[in-house]
Formats: sequence, structure tokens, C-alpha cells
Amino acid sequence: MGKLQYKKMKGSSNLRQRLVLATLSSTPLLIEDIRAEHTLPGLHPHEISFLRLLEKLCDDCSLIINETGTKLKYQPGTIMGGTHDLVHDCALTRSISYYLEPLLVLALFSKKPLTITLRGITNDSKDPSVDTFRSTTLQLLKRFGVPSEGLDLRIVSRGSAPLGGGEVILSIPSVHCLNAVNLTDVGMVKRIRGVAYSTRVSFQFDNSMIHSARGIFNRFIPDVYIFSDHKKGPAAGNSPGYGISLVAETNEGCYISADTAISYGRTEETGEIEEEKKELMPPEEVGEQIASVLLGEIEQGGVVDSTHQYK
Amino acid sequence: MALDSTKTEQSHKSHRSRQAGPKKKSKSDKKNKNVSDSDRKQNPKAFAFSSSVKAKRLQSRTVEKEQRRLHVPVIDRAYGEPPPFVIVVQGPPQVGKSLVIKSLVRHYTKQNLPEVRGPITIVSGKKRRLQFVECPNDINGMIDAAKYADLALLLIDGSYGFEMETFEFLNILQVHGFPKVMGVLTNLDKFKDAKKLKKTKQRLKHRFWTEIYDGAKLFYLSGLIHGKYPKREIHNLARFISVMKFHPLSWRVSHPYILVDRFEDVTPPERVRMNKKCDRNVLVYGYLRGCNMKKGTKVHIAGVGDYSLAGIAGLADPCPLPSAAKKKGLRDKEKLFHAPMSGLGDLLYDKDAVYININDHLVQFSKADDENGGETNKGKDQDVGEVLVKSLQKAKYSIDEKLEKSFISLFGQKQAKDNHGSVEQIREIEPSEGYHSGEEIETDESNDESDGGVRDGSESSDQDEAVQKERMIKSEDSGSEEDNDALDQQNSLKDRLQERVEYHDGRIRRKAFFGDDIDHDDLKDSDEVNEDSDDDADNKTSSGSDFSEEDGEDHEIDEDDMGNISKWKESLMERTVSRQNTNLMQLVYGKSTSASTTAMDEAQDSSGDEESDGDEFFKPKGEGKKNLREGFDDGNVNSEDCSKFINYETLKNWKDEELIQSIRDRFVTGDWEKAKSRNKYPEANAEDDDDAFYGDFEDLEAGEKNERHRTDDTGNGAVQMEDDPAAEERRLKKLALRAKFDAQYPFELLYFQYIFLYEEVDTKDRDRNGSGYFDKMKEEIELRKQMNISELNDLDEATRIEIEGFRTGTYLRLEIHDVPCEMVEYFDPCHPILVGGIGLGEENVGYMQTRLKKHRWHKKILKNRDPIIVSVGWRRYQTRPLYAIEDLNGRYRMLKYTPEHMHCLATFWGPLAPPNTGVVAVQNVSNNQATFRISATAVVLEFNHAAQIKKKVKLVGYPTKIFKKTALIKEMFNSDLEIARYEGAAIRTVSGIRGQVKKAAKEELGNQPKKKGGKPREGIARCTFEDKIKMSDIVFMRAWASVEVPRFYNPLTTALQPRDQTWQGMKTVAELRREHNLAIPVNKDSFYKPIERKPKKFNPLVIPKSLEASLPFATKSKDTPSRKRPLLENRRPAVVMEPDERKVHALVQHLQLIRSEKIKKRKLKEEKKRKEHEAEKAKDEELSRKRRREERRERYREQDKLQKKIRRNV
Repeated sequence: MGKLQYKKMKGSSNLRQRLVLATLSSTPLLIEDIRAEHTLPGLHPHEISFLRLLEKLCDDCSLIINETGTKLKYQPGTIMGGTHDLVHDCALTRSISYYLEPLLVLALFSKKPLTITLRGITNDSKDPSVDTFRSTTLQLLKRFGVPSEGLDLRIVSRGSAPLGGGEVILSIPSVHCLNAVNLTDVGMVKRIRGVAYSTRVSFQFDNSMIHSARGIFNRFIPDVYIFSDHKKGPAAGNSPGYGISLVAETNEGCYISADTAISYGRTEETGEIEEEKKELMPPEEVGEQIASVLLGEIEQGGVVDSTHQYK
Repeated sequence: MALDSTKTEQSHKSHRSRQAGPKKKSKSDKKNKNVSDSDRKQNPKAFAFSSSVKAKRLQSRTVEKEQRRLHVPVIDRAYGEPPPFVIVVQGPPQVGKSLVIKSLVRHYTKQNLPEVRGPITIVSGKKRRLQFVECPNDINGMIDAAKYADLALLLIDGSYGFEMETFEFLNILQVHGFPKVMGVLTNLDKFKDAKKLKKTKQRLKHRFWTEIYDGAKLFYLSGLIHGKYPKREIHNLARFISVMKFHPLSWRVSHPYILVDRFEDVTPPERVRMNKKCDRNVLVYGYLRGCNMKKGTKVHIAGVGDYSLAGIAGLADPCPLPSAAKKKGLRDKEKLFHAPMSGLGDLLYDKDAVYININDHLVQFSKADDENGGETNKGKDQDVGEVLVKSLQKAKYSIDEKLEKSFISLFGQKQAKDNHGSVEQIREIEPSEGYHSGEEIETDESNDESDGGVRDGSESSDQDEAVQKERMIKSEDSGSEEDNDALDQQNSLKDRLQERVEYHDGRIRRKAFFGDDIDHDDLKDSDEVNEDSDDDADNKTSSGSDFSEEDGEDHEIDEDDMGNISKWKESLMERTVSRQNTNLMQLVYGKSTSASTTAMDEAQDSSGDEESDGDEFFKPKGEGKKNLREGFDDGNVNSEDCSKFINYETLKNWKDEELIQSIRDRFVTGDWEKAKSRNKYPEANAEDDDDAFYGDFEDLEAGEKNERHRTDDTGNGAVQMEDDPAAEERRLKKLALRAKFDAQYPFELLYFQYIFLYEEVDTKDRDRNGSGYFDKMKEEIELRKQMNISELNDLDEATRIEIEGFRTGTYLRLEIHDVPCEMVEYFDPCHPILVGGIGLGEENVGYMQTRLKKHRWHKKILKNRDPIIVSVGWRRYQTRPLYAIEDLNGRYRMLKYTPEHMHCLATFWGPLAPPNTGVVAVQNVSNNQATFRISATAVVLEFNHAAQIKKKVKLVGYPTKIFKKTALIKEMFNSDLEIARYEGAAIRTVSGIRGQVKKAAKEELGNQPKKKGGKPREGIARCTFEDKIKMSDIVFMRAWASVEVPRFYNPLTTALQPRDQTWQGMKTVAELRREHNLAIPVNKDSFYKPIERKPKKFNPLVIPKSLEASLPFATKSKDTPSRKRPLLENRRPAVVMEPDERKVHALVQHLQLIRSEKIKKRKLKEEKKRKEHEAEKAKDEELSRKRRREERRERYREQDKLQKKIRRNV
């Protein structure tokens, strides 16, 4: 046995992938120089939050971060999963999808099926929205032989960017192994679905987004249906925002998605003072833009969209 | 001979059919049989099922039988030539193990083996190789042997019967996956009595069957003839072995492993000279088995420990299968045989050297200076060894010649010709740098040094006793060499080109060094030695560093300088570049970098693949890419981790009609035909390209291609893609089918059926078929396998090894650094080394839960926390288990000892093994133990500490102060903090009064400090009970305390000590006590003493006056006042009768008695009479009733008749 051989790495890039792969291959990991030169050195809150989430999921894993957060020592354990009350409060610097993506990969190989509640920002312009996650990523996963029962993402409440307040419940079955897939033919788009949401704003925002997106799709295909999801009260989270997520489904069972979310940015990011809020993009334009993005994705002709190629 | 005579006697004896008993053939039996035989054919209808129930039952039975035969198909990930099957010959000492191996080897190769040491590989058939290993007699060796055995031959001394070793080995086998087992009875010639022999055979056979399964094969070797087993019997045994089918075992299928058949110490001799006990570098060789071995895999050397590989390289197969030409049987030439540890076999191949063993009487052969001189020799090694030597002799000459003639300008400077004149026959070419595969490219000098190390180490390494002495000599040599190096390299080269002759057990051993391995096949055709060696040289020059190394004089050339590659190379390079497959991985990640692929490059070189050569040429490109990537990395080392990728800048205006038209066909509303063609177009294009360059490829390297792996043939076919995916799929399916045929799985019949089905019935029908599911599953698996193969074949060799690792069946050379020197010192070829790959996460140490059962033959039960030696996976280690059992409520309760006949849970600390791994536990590894050594068997359930093991704790306390139902309890807890922890816990008194802990007692009556101002005593709890308790009561609380599993594990380092020495680890408590003469401590309180119960004295009941007063009258104690005067009766004086009075009184009494007696008698009589009378009456009554009924009947009948008459008349 002797001493543990850590795999050494530098920088914060691809932290999630590194951690996921290290956990799956049970390789100890040592990451140095995490934003050593930056004004905000070390790990960011969302990264630390993700590390804590890993600790929650795994048995016998050890995590050592130095004082400045520029160095991380990670020794993975076994992924346990489980259905007992797992709740994780995600950091508000990134949306829930940031956590969902690696969680999905990890939980598939856990000992027991996982059910976990995540709280934080559901829709964000930086990460794919939870709607996309639900409509596309989970569908994609089914192609790999993951049973559809037990694979679910429930959006309890939504939370937009600065303050969050959204909640989703993710449940993932555990699999023995994944099937190899042979996805080469994208097929033809047979229908377009989508969800437009709005929190703490008028429900007219939904309608105008849907209207403008439909306006573009109507030239291509009649089978377009975009749901509107207007949240009120506690289910609407703590801050105003709106957005849309679109999915094109092809006759070969491929899903191509595009989404965005509009809300007031975080203060530390924009560096501006709270009072002078910048103008948000009007919903009509949002709808049009995302529809165009989706068409752009379709034009590229990949079996998955560019967001999902990352994983 | 005696046996033969008995045989003949036996044959004379005629058969006597049984006259009595169950085996006697009865007449009826015979008759029945006759009927069934003849009639069934004649009249089948008569014997059809008469009962539908019976038919149904029979049908369901056949279906069931069929289903039971099916197994879940396993994905066989091993393609290509399988490694030799390991046949372990096991048995107690003196049973004839080595003789069996010798006889088998002689049968296969017609060679006499003087001694069986280490694994012996032979080619036994056209598609089969076998590796014979003798199982060592100690339990450690047996455990290891069980892990690598494909077939175990259990040798049993027939004259003695079964011995414990056999059963121990069987049990170990069963735990570690149960490979095939065949029993062999030997020493049967000791029986003089034929009947007794027969009986013994029968008995042993049945015992063997109960142990394995009914019908397990038990072979009989009748005896020795001229010190050998009879030829015919060995022939039969060999035949049984040759038809044996080996099933994949789950542990082995998922772990790579190597049975080491060659072991070399390559520590630099200087280091050894400085410090004899320094850590050594060793090389181990062997066939890769199990699954593919990826780079970076850690290995466990059984009996040594875990090591990461310093280098891994595939070598040319030392014992290759014959070419696939269609012919019957094996030629003599192809009956190859490889046993480096036994000192047999003529050639030893290394990555950078070939060792030739020449026997004493053949020495003059190598002395002959003339090239043709060798042909006069008719040694056994003529075919291979001689050719090799000749090639070596010629090679140098011809290379130079060729170089002069050829238009290729290979080297900047030609090699000095004066080397020619020297007398040596075996030329040394400096080994390529690459043998330090894991390391960076070294400088010239360090290279030389290390080369010296390799050479000397490997020379010395064999199994001889004189190793040390030789090493000293050699180290001197190398020392001088280095000096020379330092002085002048030209000189040093001359030095290096010396012949090295060593004496090993009176046998001369010479060594020849090459820049690279010589392809075995090339060596075989002696006609083309020159060209071949030339080719080899070309191969060697493939890598830039090799190249510069090789013409050692060429000092100006920088090793890594690609500019020095000749024009010929360049053109080749370009060609290769143009035909190189660009796979996705390379495009994305760039070429695999040089540092990481050094080992693989060597591997490719050694396998002599053309593709791999091409790989080297890629270096500059790869490096360029790498640089690019580095630059990229530098900039984005801290880039944001985000999966979303939307480029808003390039958004197009999708309202534009042209744009709309451009993607019109991507929607179902568009043109479907166009969409189809869109998908097809790029593929077709690619295919054309592929064809183009593959054609080229075959033209050029036709010769090379033949030597390539068998699967490559199919692979090349696979690369040429069909026009449309459907056809491709069909082709793959066909391939899969063919592969299944080839595989010849145990379900051959089914396959035939299936294939018919496949051809005739369409797929839908098959799906409906019941057994179709199984076939479909198999087909899918096979299809996937073929897809994988074809996909992998598209890759170049380097990437392929990177992705799938070294394939099973490859002859591998593993370099391991920093091994304890004892491993080399105590290396014993009779104890083969097992090197097993460690899976992901298996090197981590943690808690493991196992379901354990004490072996029923083990005499003692196992004590909790006593150290035992477990064998899990590849490892053997000592650990201290904690035994537990699951209670009904799911709690794991600790046990002090293992249950006698039950499973229990054992949790221990150690390197993790995946669930379902078998575990065998041994308490004592010493050999001088008569009893059964296997203590327990287990299976791993989980490897985390989810299950907390608890033990029962009883906290006992005594009341100090009792209020009504509350009491203050002392001595149960030590502090108030403890009480706070147990608030609300249930407690109970001995008398059964239940209660609850409330809180720590405040300063109260029962809890006052001794002195004023002192603190009240801690640890007194206030408890409430359901009733008032007494001061004499004892209060106790039942609690559960979790128990820590001892974090102890100690790997068995049996390979680091003399093999005959018993490994000593942690001792059990009992052993320690025995050693130190300590008695078992006894707790007096634990003794059972006779219970003495004093008779209880009860005080009289006193009822208080007030209570008495309030009681109702009935329950009041009746307090009758005492009389002053006694009652009349008491007062009356006694009457004394006179004698005659008394007489009268007696007479009266007598008369009364008589009368009463009379009356009693009369009554009885009357009673009897009455009963008789009643019975009489009842009888009469019965009779009269009958009569009356008869009369009535008669009357009614007549009435009826009358009425009928009347009616008729009317």
C-alpha cells in the first residue's frame, strides 16, 4: 500500500469533470494553483458547495482544502446514494444545473438509487436550465440503458439568478453498466416542445416569449407547443426573472435543446451598484433569440446539441 | 509387469451375471424391455400419451431442463489468441506430480525434462497451448495456484487414499472460482489384489464425486514402467486435457494477471555492490491472462506486495501457435516448448536481447568462424538457435554491405569496419534506450550504465546458486566499461562488442544484444536471414532515439533530433502520414505524447508492426499539437467550468427565406429523400478514402500483414465500410455468427438450430420464440464485440493500447522497481510468482463485510479479533476480523466466537475487494499440521462500514434514595454528562419494575455533599419507575455500544523469506498464552455456583386498627372474645362403660352392620334384575316394532294395490 499516490493537477478548469472522474475511478486527486493569481483566489463558493455535495453522497471520502482555497486534496470513497432526506443548499453563484450534471453521472454508479433535493437557482443564463435538463439530458440518458422508472427531476419551485429560492428533487436509479450507443443519425425534427417560465414578473412575459418563438418555428414545422410556467408566491423564488427552454425532437429520438434565462445579474459579477439596474432583454427578443439558437443547433446537425457535448 | 499379468488374468475371467439381489435381471424386466423396444417402433401410436396431464408434465420437464442448461451469456472480451491454459498439478508430496508433468511434456514434445521448475509452456495443438505448473506443497503456494489454475490435476495416492492437501486445495479452488478439476489416481501398482484395487478405485471415486459432482472425471495411472507412467495412459490423459473447455471465471475475467515464467533481476550491479540489501529492480515475464492490461495498472505480486509498474512491454511470443495453414496435426517443428525456469528451451527473448543457451557439447558450433560452419551441427536447437546465430553472424556483414550498395543513406557515418575482424560470433548491438520505458529519454552515458545493468542483471538472474559470485565478476566488468565510456566512446564500443560467456551449471550461456527484438517468424526461414535482419535493423531504426543509439559512433547526432532521419525514412513517413487513420481521439486530444507512450512504442516495435513505426514519425506533429494544447492550457488553467455553449454573435436571421430553405430538410415537413442522402454523403466519401489507402497498405506490407494478429484480418475487412449502415450491420451480424461458431460454446446444438432459424425465419418470428430471447442476447453481445473489434482495428497500435490496454495472450515483460532484495534472494522457481492486476479502488484499504462460515472440518471455532490469514482476490493478508450476527431488528450484534454450523458476518480491515469475491481464511500456514488448515470460507458482501457492529452493555446501578415512584440511582453513570446522554433511556430492576432515566439528580436528600459547601456527587440519576422500588433492588439498563473493527492488516510476505520457513505474523491470544505459559484468566464472578436460598421468615400479618375498622364485616378478622367457661361438651366428663355394657354395645353395633350389609346386597341384586328386565323389554319392543312395521307395510301395499285396481277399473 504505502502512501497514497495523488494525481496532480493544476488550475480550476474542469473541476467538476476531474472530481467526477476521480470518484468513478477512485483515484486520489491533488489540485494546486486554483486561481492563485486572481483577485478572488481559491475555490469559489459553488465549487466548495459541490465538494460538500460530494462528501454527502460518498462514504469514506476525505477532502482537504487549504486556507486560501488554492489547493485541494481529494480522496474519493464509495458512492452511496440513498433515498433518505438528502438536501443540499447550492451556492447561489451558479445554478442548480451546475450540480445536476456531475451528480447525474455519479449517481448512476451509486450503490443505492439516489433521491436528493437541491435548493438554489433553477434557471440561469450560464448553465442549462433545469427544464432543459429534464427534457433533454434525462431523455438522452435513457439511450444509454438507464431505466426510465426512477429517473426523474421534479421542479418544486423556481428561483432566478441573484437570490435563488428554487427547489428541485432529482431521483436517479443506479445501473450496473451503461450500454454502448451508436448515435450517428440525427434524423429529422418531428416536433418542438418547450417551457417558458417567469417568476415574480407578469405572466405576459411568458406569452410574449412563446409568441415570438412560435413565430419563427411556424415556417418550419406545425408541431410546436411551448408550455408556459408562471410561478407565483413561494414557488416563484426570491427574485424576478424569466426565460425559455426549447427542445427539438427528431424522428430518430434525438433531442436538441436551447435555453436561456433573463434576470438581474449578481452584484459581485457585474460589479455595479444595485441601484442602476441594467436594462433586461425584452421577452419578445428572448423568444426570437432562443428559437434562432435552436435552429442554429439543428443546422449543425449533431445528434446532441452543443451544450450536451460537454459532458 | 505384475500389473500386466493381472490384467491378462482379469480378461480370462468370464462374466457371471447376478443370481440374486437387486441387480439380478428378472424375467419380467426382460419382457418389458422387449416389448418396449420392438413394439414402439412397430406401433408408435399405441405408445403415444394417453394422459394429457402426463404429457403436459413431460413437456414442462423438458422445457425446464432446457432452461436450466442456459446460462447468462458472458461477454468475452478476449480476442485473438488465448494465452496458454494453466494446468496446475497438485497433490501431496511423493505422489508423482513432477513425473506426470514430465510424462505429459514428453508426450507433447518428445523431450525429456530433467527437472520441473516453474511453468512450462508447450504447444499442444494447432490452437492450443498449455502451461504446466507444479503446485508447491505449502498452503500459500496452493492458494496462489488456485488463483491461476485453469485446470487442476489433483494427484491422489491410490495406495494411501485421500490426503488433507487434496481437500484443502479443492476448498481453495471452490472459493476462488472453481476452475476445472480432474483427479488422477497414482501409485496403483502397490495393490497386489485386483479385487482390492477395484474396490479402492470405486471408493475413492465416490468420495471424489461427493466432493465435486457426480461423474467428475477421475483418472487412473496404473503404475510405473521403467520409472515412467505407461504411454497409453498418458496419451489418454493428454486427450482429456485437450478436449477440456474452460469457462471464464468472474474474478479473472475482470482482472489481468500474469503467471511469471521468467524472472530477472536488473538492479545496477554497482548499487548491489554498494549495498547488498538495496531495493532491487526486477523484470517479470509471462502471458497476460484474464483481461486486457491497461497502462498505469498497479499490480500485486503475490507474497510480496503492491507495486506500480515501471515499465510494461509486449514481447514476441516465445512459444507461438503454428501458422494457420490447413493441415492435420502439428509438425515436429511446431511442437515448441518454453520453460526458462527449468533451464530448457534454447532461446530467451527479451525486449532488447536474445539469450541463447548452448549445451556443452555444442560449444564448438559457435566457435566455427565460417558462416557455413554451423550447418555441420545437428543439435536439437538447429532449427531455431542455429539460424539465429547464423543470422547474427551474417547480419553485421550484410548490413554494411547493403548499406554501401543501397541508395538509402541511413547513417551519417558508416560503422567502423575494424569491428569485423574480431573473433566474436555473437554480436552485441547496443540495446535501444527504451527499456527504461517509464522514464524520460536519458543521456548517452546513463544509458550505457543502465544497459550494463540490464545485461549483467539478466545474466545473473537465473536460478543458480552461484549468482552472487558471478555478479561480482560482472560488476567489475561493467565498472571497467564505464571507465571506458568516460574515456572514449569508440573504445567502449569495442569493449561492448565482446563476447560474454558464462558458465551456469556446466552449461555455457551466451548472450546477444540487439537494438530490438528479432521477430521470431523472421528467424525461422533461414533463407532470408539477410533480408530479415536487414528489415529488423530497419525496424530498429524506427524511433529517432533508437536510431542514434544504434550506430553508437554517431556522437554528433542528437538523440531526439528528427532531422537526422534519412530521406528514405522521410518518404516513408510521408506515406504513413497520408495513410494514417485519423481517429477522433487524436483529433481531439492530439497524438499521445511521447513520454506516455515510450513503453508502448517499444511494444509495437517488438511486435514488428508497420503501423507502429508510422507512429514514431508522428512525433513532430504530435508534439506540435501538444504544444498547442499546452498553450491553451496555460491560458485557461482556471477557466470557468461551464457546459453551456451558445454563441450569440453568430446568430442568423432565421426569417430569411434562403436560410429557411437551407434547413428545410431537417424537419419532417421537408424532403425525406434529401435528408437521407445528406446522411450518407460524408460516409461514402470517407469510405473511398479508406479503400484507397488500405489497398496501398496491403500492397506494400503484404508480408508484414500476414504476421499480424488474427483479428486484424477481420478488422481490415471491417474497415472497408459498406455503403449503407444496414449492410454494415448485416455484415457485423454475420461476423458475430461466425465468431460464435468459432467459439464453440457448450451450446453447440443450439447454435445449429439457431443458425437455421436465422437463415429461414425472419426476425419477428424469432422474437416470439421463447428461447429466442437467449439467442438474441447472445447475438447482441457478439454484435457489440464485433463492433468493438472493428472500431479498435481502425485505431493505430499506440492509441489502441492506450484505449484497450495490452491484449490477453500477449507475452508481457513487466519492470518493477524497488522490490525488496529478499524477493530476489529467496526466489525459488518451484514457487511460481503470480502477478495480478489491481482493479479500480482495490488498492484502497477499508472495512469489508463478509459472510463467513467456519469450515466444518476445522476443529475449533474462531475467536473474535483473533488474527486469521485471508486470501481475497490476489492478495493474502493477515487481519483481525470481528464476528457478528444480524438480529431480528437488523442490528449487528457482536459475537465472541463464530457459530458452529452457521454463517455469520465477519468484518475486517484490509484492501478492498468487490462484492461477491470469495474469501478463504486460514489460521495457520505451517506445513507440519495434521489437521485441516482451512478455517473458514467467506464471501464479500460490501466494503464500507455501513453496518455498525454493536455489543450489549449492561449498566448497573443501585438506588440511593427512594421517593414514591422516583428513585435516585447511583453507580450507573460516572458523570452528569453521561446522564444527559441517556435521558429517557429505559431501565429495569431485577424484579421487573420498568422505568426511565429522567435527569441528573439535583442536590437533594439523597445527594448531598459530605461537607458543607462541597459539590454534590456526580453521576446520580433521577429515575422514575412504574412502581416503588426497594433499596435492595438492582437497577440496570441494557444499552448497545458500537465496536470498532481493529484496523490491522498485514500482507503475507511469503516470497520474501525462505520458502520452507513458516511465515510468522501476529499471534493469536491462545498462542501467546501457550508461549508464555500463562493461564487463562478467570473471572470469579463468572463461575456458576450453587444457588443458596435461605428460607424466608415471614412476620405475622399486622393489620392496623384504623384499617381494621374500615373493613367490611366479611373481611374483618373475626375477633371472638375468649369464653370464661368452656362449652358443655368440653365440660362433660368422659363416659367409661362397664364390661357387659360394652358387650351389648358391641353386639348392637354388629347387628346394625349385618343389617346394613344385607340391605346393600339386596339393592345390588334388584338393580341387576331391573337392568336385565329392561334389556328384555327393549328387545321385545324392537321385535314388536319390526312386526308392526311389516304389518303396516303389508297393509299399505294392499291398499295401494286396491287403489290401483280401482283406478284401472275406473
